[in-house]
Amino acid sequence: MKNNLRKYYQKSSRIILLLMLTLFTLSLSAQQQRFPKPEFETGYTQPSPSTPEPRATAWEYVDIAILLLVMSLAAWFILRKRSRKGILWLSIFSLVYFGFVREGCVCSVGSIQNMALTLFEPAYAISLPIILFFALPLLFSLFFGRVFCASACPLGVIQDLVIIKPITLPNWLNKTLGFIPYIYLGLAVLFAATGSDFIICRYDPFIGIFRMGAEFSMIILGIAFLLMSLFVARPYCRFLCPYGVLLGWTSKFSKHHLSITPNECISCKLCEHSCPFNVIDEPTEELKPEEKIQNKKRFTLYALLIPVWIFVGGYAMSLAHPFLSKAHPDVYLAELLIEHPELKNDTENLDIQTFLSSGKPMHQLVEEAKLIRSKYNTASWILGGFLGLVIGIMLMNQFVTRRRKDYTPNKIDCYSCGRCMNYCPVKATSKLSKEDKQSV
Amino acid sequence: MSNTTNTTNTNSSQSRQGLERSIVNIIIITAIFSVVISLLMLFNYIQLAQNDPIESKTLSTLVELLSDDPNNDTLKTEIRAFDLMARKAYFTNQWQTKTGAWLLLIGAVVLVISLRYYHTLIAKIEKPDAENKSQQTSRILSSKWLLGSGVLVIGLAIIASFLSTDQLNKYEIETTLIDASNDEIEIVDLTQIEEPEKVKEENTTKIEISTPEVAEEKKVASTLEEKPAPIAKELSKPKVQFPTLAEIKQQYNSFRGYLGNGVTAAKNIPNSWDVTAGTNILWKIKVPVKGFSSPVVWNNKLFVTGANLQERWVYCYNTNNGELIWQQQANSIPGSPTTAPKTTDDTGLAAPSVVTDGIHVSAIFGTGDIITFDMNGNRLWAKNLGVPDNHYGHSSSLLSWKEKLIIQYDTNKGGRLLTLNIQSGEVIWDIKRSSHISWASPLLIEVDNKMQVVTSTEPTVAGYDLETGKELWQIDCMMGEVGPSPAYGNGLVFVANEYATLAAIDPVKGEIVWEDNYYLPEVASPVVSDGLLFIATTYGVFACFDVHTHNMYWEAEFDEGFYSTPIIADGKLFAIDMNGVVHIMKVDRELKQIANIPMGEAVMTTPAFVDGKIFIRGNEHLYCIGK
Repeated sequence: MKNNLRKYYQKSSRIILLLMLTLFTLSLSAQQQRFPKPEFETGYTQPSPSTPEPRATAWEYVDIAILLLVMSLAAWFILRKRSRKGILWLSIFSLVYFGFVREGCVCSVGSIQNMALTLFEPAYAISLPIILFFALPLLFSLFFGRVFCASACPLGVIQDLVIIKPITLPNWLNKTLGFIPYIYLGLAVLFAATGSDFIICRYDPFIGIFRMGAEFSMIILGIAFLLMSLFVARPYCRFLCPYGVLLGWTSKFSKHHLSITPNECISCKLCEHSCPFNVIDEPTEELKPEEKIQNKKRFTLYALLIPVWIFVGGYAMSLAHPFLSKAHPDVYLAELLIEHPELKNDTENLDIQTFLSSGKPMHQLVEEAKLIRSKYNTASWILGGFLGLVIGIMLMNQFVTRRRKDYTPNKIDCYSCGRCMNYCPVKATSKLSKEDKQSV
Repeated sequence: MSNTTNTTNTNSSQSRQGLERSIVNIIIITAIFSVVISLLMLFNYIQLAQNDPIESKTLSTLVELLSDDPNNDTLKTEIRAFDLMARKAYFTNQWQTKTGAWLLLIGAVVLVISLRYYHTLIAKIEKPDAENKSQQTSRILSSKWLLGSGVLVIGLAIIASFLSTDQLNKYEIETTLIDASNDEIEIVDLTQIEEPEKVKEENTTKIEISTPEVAEEKKVASTLEEKPAPIAKELSKPKVQFPTLAEIKQQYNSFRGYLGNGVTAAKNIPNSWDVTAGTNILWKIKVPVKGFSSPVVWNNKLFVTGANLQERWVYCYNTNNGELIWQQQANSIPGSPTTAPKTTDDTGLAAPSVVTDGIHVSAIFGTGDIITFDMNGNRLWAKNLGVPDNHYGHSSSLLSWKEKLIIQYDTNKGGRLLTLNIQSGEVIWDIKRSSHISWASPLLIEVDNKMQVVTSTEPTVAGYDLETGKELWQIDCMMGEVGPSPAYGNGLVFVANEYATLAAIDPVKGEIVWEDNYYLPEVASPVVSDGLLFIATTYGVFACFDVHTHNMYWEAEFDEGFYSTPIIADGKLFAIDMNGVVHIMKVDRELKQIANIPMGEAVMTTPAFVDGKIFIRGNEHLYCIGK
């Protein structure tokens, strides 16, 4: 009877939550500006602002100080206090401050694009706070793991807080979907470096929620991710976040990373299902001799295939560079006007009308577009080569045999949220004797 | 003891059940609350979308009624009241949306916390898996999926390459077809062209003057077709005999006459006429499209240009009777902007004057279009130099010498001086300069039997070898917006500009000989003759200096300032003020005014002179004055 009641409540609560979040989506998209915008006779419609108002420089440094403080506290909670509660409250603070107060900008995830643009476009002046927002989380992860993801990133935290009933995805699916962030990273750098677009910011799914209003499609996207987070923990972080790729690289080398047990692992398996992200590495099984030989052969084959992957990836992507370059507004406009010259008479098309009123001749636009496209050609080779390299290494790594006796968090993928720590029955005080292990 | 334990357990279980029930109740209440708020907001949104108070049709109707009856005070009051009500409704709606969003957020937060807490209460530690899953199987499966992902990405890239057409290359191919053999130049084979577009009698804009009486103006009926000249496949460069300097001196081939120096060799120039009575007015016509380019004359052909936002024209008139011989439009030029750049009304797009060598006539416009015709109006070539970034409009006129067409193209994006082959439009030399924008025109001078191009820009005055484009000398002495062109006489180059200086420069040494800043021109260029330098200012002062000592011989103050550059012809100075009064003075150390003749309309251009005739382009009409 009691179980039935629970199930009823669980089921109904999920349906209500789904309904509520859907309606929340619609209502947020209905947000209007506080004051009416000026009305233009030309029929011009003002777009919704995609970035918040500029912030005073002094406040930018306050943000840096807060970021530093949050990450330091997170490292302290994880490594010294082993307090999941501390991480939880810290993450709530970050969600409120970096999310709702700061409206999700500037964020470390998006700062990748600023860094890429400043590297390839000397005229672009990047501010010190953006550099620090980019570098500090990486620096922390290099020493303490991804404490930024655990407690400071509002994008990660908002997903983390709504995890209710996470399911465990099969390993092959985790690995396959884990390739997507590399593609997203590559494209984000490509588009930013060529001055085309900041796609991470443009398609940030949670920005509409933080700013209490955005385009309808973006609100839908954000809510979709949150709904998914109820059952698939942190889907954006795991299968999209480009900054997570960089954090994973640095975190791999972190010396003071979170450990499940404060002492020796007794392989009690209690923590096996504690991680909603499925990033606890189990002890390795003993392979059969023929399996070992097979793995060695596969490893060698995939290692030898890496250059092939790089070349084929680069070549294939270079073929697609005309397609990719359409992301640049100048290329898009030039091609549009070449293909549809009649659109010059379309007074509703603001891009075309702006170009025409600038007095810039068509051939100049085409020349500029060609120059951008040639940059895309080179960049596409690099992007394709990078993705080929990633696939090659991922394939090769499948057959790297590492001996592991304990349950340990995967340093690359672990978000240092500290959930697994609570599941460990081992005390931190002293080394366990054989009897202790047996009793546990 | 056992009973006590059972009682404690029962109590604990009941307490836990009570807590769970309370949490579930909170979940239900917050969920219902959130749903209700969401529904209200949704309703509010739909209402706003359907009946936006700011876009009220009633208000629009009332405003329309008011436009029919603008003095209806009752209606005005009604509109104000309705507008106020609409705005109140709008802001109320905004407040509701904002408040609703916050309430919804609070509801969602409470709901999430309750749900999490509830699940914490009912959660149980899952039993560890009895058997380990095969890691080897998982590895192989993962590798297969990864392999598939890699192939998929490569496949998508290849598909994307097939899906997109490279329109940019398509544009190049089309342009190449139009451009014939040159990348940006449209070239016409003189042997294959059709007859030039002759102007029919009914299309002329001539106003016949039955001297001595002024005839009635005829209305402009310009209905000529806008047909670009046919395009030839091969470049045609007939060998031509370019005119000598002596031959050019007999003409008025460019802005400020031969070599662009403001001195003409014309004789028998009239110094009395009357526009109103028609005395000595041989003809008067209205140029169909307005422009500030000055007239240029070669034998019986006079050339001017006109432009508006839609069209750019070159007109050729018969100097004897004012009949339009031909007119050609500068259109279908590769690279020409689809929308003309913004210019000010006192400059426009047809401020630069044409240049002719009796074989070719070249014109440049504020769009950056440059075009050359033969003397019969057959289009030879055309190209675009890039739209000039010029906040007033490009105004530097053209010069030519032998096969070289000289173009001063200083814009806000930087200085540029280039020469094109006047026959083909091909670049002979093209130099980027560190100087800034300028509105002045170039000057040709002969130093040590070599032709130099002299230009005045901000801040540099410089001389260039006409053959190679090599900079021979340069002096930084100008500042501000340089309008006056340089002048040459007695072995010295004279440059001047308002807020800068009046300087005499030795072009051999590249040194300033003297400087003065007593009277400085803003637009009109200095002119030199017989050891005298003349300056016309925009504030109406006309001054005469000694070219060597810069001693001021005389000054005269007129009612109106000068934009038009003074020209020396037949030993006389012809200076036209902005009101259109032609001040004729003797070239002398003493001020000797010969006549002050009003043209009856404003004049900003510089007059042209040939033997016995003056051609003046006013803001409205083009005049031929003679006996």
